[in-house]
Amino acid sequence: MNAIRRRLSVALAVTGVLGVAAPAAANATALVTISGATSSYPLVSLLAAKYVKLHPHKIRFKITQGGTTVGLNDVKAGHVTIADVAQEPTSADAGLDFYPIAKYAICVVTNKSNPVSNLTAAQITSIFTGKTKEWSSALSGATATGPINVFTRTSVAGVLTSFKSLLLEGKSVVSSATEEATEGLMRQAVESAPTGIGFLSNYQANKGGLNVASVGGVACNQTTAASGQYPGVSVFFEVTKGPATGGAAAFINWIDKSAPAKKIIESQWVPVPAS
Amino acid sequence: MALERLKKPWPDHRAERLLGAVSLSVGVVIIAMIVFVTIRAWPIFQHNGLSWLFDAHPPASLEGEVSRMSAASSSPTAGDYTLSAWPVIYGTLLTTGMAVVLGLVLALLSSIFIVELAPARVTRVVIPVVRLLASVPSVIYGLIGILVLVPYVGNHLVTEQQRKSIQGTAQLTGESLLVTVVILTVMITPIMIALICEALSSVPSSWREGAIALGLNPLRAVRAVTLKAVRPAIVAAAVLATARALGEAVMISMVSGGKFFSPRLGDGVVFFYEPLRTLASTIVDYREGLSSPPLGATIYAVAFLLLFAAFVLSVSGYLVKLPLRKYQTRG
Amino acid sequence: MSTTVATASSGRGRRSSPMSWRWGDRLVLVLAWLAGILLCVLAAAIVLYMGYRGIQYLRPDSIFSRPQLSTDQSGTGGFLDPLLGTLLLTAIGVALALPLGVACAVWMTEYGRPGWLARIVESSIEIVAGTPDIVIAIFGLAVFQVSLLAPFSFTSEGGGVYGRSFIAAGAMMSLLALPPLYAASRDGLLAVPGHMREAAFALGKTRITTIRRVLVPNVRSNIATGVTLGISRIIGSTAIVLILLGGFLRFEPQGSAPAIDLLRGTGSSLTSYIYYNSPAGEGAAPQKAYAAAFVLLIFVLALNLIVERIGRAHASSTGLTTTAGVV
Repeated sequence: MNAIRRRLSVALAVTGVLGVAAPAAANATALVTISGATSSYPLVSLLAAKYVKLHPHKIRFKITQGGTTVGLNDVKAGHVTIADVAQEPTSADAGLDFYPIAKYAICVVTNKSNPVSNLTAAQITSIFTGKTKEWSSALSGATATGPINVFTRTSVAGVLTSFKSLLLEGKSVVSSATEEATEGLMRQAVESAPTGIGFLSNYQANKGGLNVASVGGVACNQTTAASGQYPGVSVFFEVTKGPATGGAAAFINWIDKSAPAKKIIESQWVPVPAS
Repeated sequence: MALERLKKPWPDHRAERLLGAVSLSVGVVIIAMIVFVTIRAWPIFQHNGLSWLFDAHPPASLEGEVSRMSAASSSPTAGDYTLSAWPVIYGTLLTTGMAVVLGLVLALLSSIFIVELAPARVTRVVIPVVRLLASVPSVIYGLIGILVLVPYVGNHLVTEQQRKSIQGTAQLTGESLLVTVVILTVMITPIMIALICEALSSVPSSWREGAIALGLNPLRAVRAVTLKAVRPAIVAAAVLATARALGEAVMISMVSGGKFFSPRLGDGVVFFYEPLRTLASTIVDYREGLSSPPLGATIYAVAFLLLFAAFVLSVSGYLVKLPLRKYQTRG
Repeated sequence: MSTTVATASSGRGRRSSPMSWRWGDRLVLVLAWLAGILLCVLAAAIVLYMGYRGIQYLRPDSIFSRPQLSTDQSGTGGFLDPLLGTLLLTAIGVALALPLGVACAVWMTEYGRPGWLARIVESSIEIVAGTPDIVIAIFGLAVFQVSLLAPFSFTSEGGGVYGRSFIAAGAMMSLLALPPLYAASRDGLLAVPGHMREAAFALGKTRITTIRRVLVPNVRSNIATGVTLGISRIIGSTAIVLILLGGFLRFEPQGSAPAIDLLRGTGSSLTSYIYYNSPAGEGAAPQKAYAAAFVLLIFVLALNLIVERIGRAHASSTGLTTTAGVV
């Protein structure tokens, strides 16, 4: 009796191990991990979901967001496969391959109760660097009074780097500004602060609930970004360490060339010409 | 045949060794935790000694230092590791100190109320409610804080004048020291109340009655006799509450404003409206940056500080209770 | 407790009137009343406000629908995944902590030799009890990102071990639940009268048999109290979930083995869902946060009631009282 029981339990154990190991060995689903910009997270999530729908069982995605610099560090250290980046490559990014996927516009936003209609480039620079400290009627359309509440992004944000180089003439935001870690947080901060001002990618800015100011007479939206009229247009990149291979390459290729991907990009952003 | 040996009742020494091994492994895991955190935090101490804790003149923008850290390449130089932690330590001391002091006073008064003054019906309701409050998750307190208290402070309490007075150094958005301390106090007081009430009610009533028989009024009797007798429990409650306040990360991260700012007493009332950061909330705020070596090492160094503080806390609690042993009413 | 109050109220007729007290005592009396009223008002306010908001925003389909990814807020579904995630984490945490905690408590009270080991174990459990859960969380991340432990989460194409999974989070949750379990079991075992052990020994039973057959069944309700306290610590923990389960709202299984893929994958729990839907997170959907918070509170309430029930049942059945306190 005991000998039978023993053999039975051994057989069970072997089948159990094989049952777990075999599918794992036969599992060819590549796992692509992505980390980085919070501004491109909505876009990349939608693209990844569509890709999985169209090509099931090929690639699994895991997307986190910690900011552009965190993504760059992660991909340099080999922790993730692709980094989402919302700023142009710099000399520090040698050895990394940047693949542009879409263009976005950086909009200056204020609270809905403060309908600032237009700001010149000089005004934007002066407000965000702390020179202009109070709301006044000189800022066309502003109805708020009192000190300006400046909101900015934490240093890891690609949108901040792009904002500084495109709309702030390279200067830094005033040090007393409140830093928000993600685009979502920035949006909520400006939504709940009547005297607040901040900057967001056009997707977040045009969600409603905020007042979007024009820059130099040009409104900030998808159309003006596509036509090149709006001055603050930057690029979303997918970045890999060295040339993209395997699942990452397949995904990036698909974004670049396929029609469903283009449709998603065109819904809120500006496509880049296929390479 | 091996199965049969396993099925017979085990001799004591084998059982003892197995249980001992299990207990040892638990100890090993915890020691591993301390070792891991220390190893990851070591670069900060290696490059800065202890001076990074108490820099009397922190640079104007710690956020700048952090950005430098997060942008540092994968082979950072020694200079990349400098960070001044004093504003964070100061924020922790402020919030924890104020919350524990306030909470202790409230807890003592409430416990006296519950045990001595309240009618029995009220007591029967209040005690389970206190226990419920003590087990409410901190994210719910954070939710109420950020959706109710922060907008109230930001939009109704802070005046334009106050905002102007501090413009250029910080912004008053409602996420502030005031909200942090209020919610922290509300979080830690129920724990203290539960512990102190339990201790108060286990003091033999004959002690109180003796005092009353000698002519003291009931409240005085409590002060003179019972409170002195439960001093170990009060110390235990304070230590527990401080440990909880120190470790509170998510709630504080939600309501404290997330700025490396040291609230300045000289600012008068505005002191309460200024944003701050604590040790634990810094870890939560920068949790994504663990992959960049200098920033990751800083986070682990902050964690090391927290561990160290918790350790110091339990040791000091033990030491404070030592001379009070003779007043213990429970075995 | 009730005896003290009964004595006080029976002597109430002959209590000294506060009018005759000194000013200091009168002040303390007033303050104590104020503190008590403040406490009741505060507790009522929190419970009623969360209840009001919860009922306002909780829809039955929120509980049973899964979170959706969408660019539009109204399409984002409910919180079934986070709810199941909380339950899964609790199950893993308790499954790991229960044998460990009871084994440690048994060893400490019944054996406890050599002395240095006993001191180490006792101090370590105290250290864990006092450690902030955020520190436990980043320790967990550091440990599970070691390549040896890659099977417990997964490896991405770049070669880095991800380190975040239900197993990782559950293992750290068990560290949270361990101290209450250990303390409750130990107190229960210490409270078992010596004559029970002696009777068993007199009948010729070995120590381990006595433990298995006599002592442990006796402290079942203490263990139950410890488990419930551990569960409330687990479901209330946000930091560990944020760090060890990442920011994913849905279950994302990993690999293809049936149950193990769920454990190795990531997901979310009610607490991280609340965090991400509050103004501190991404979603800016306070309604969802309120609804989830309401459900979470109901859990906590239910757990508290269970602890009370166990405490009362045990007290009445054995005449021994348990320290069904908070620690």
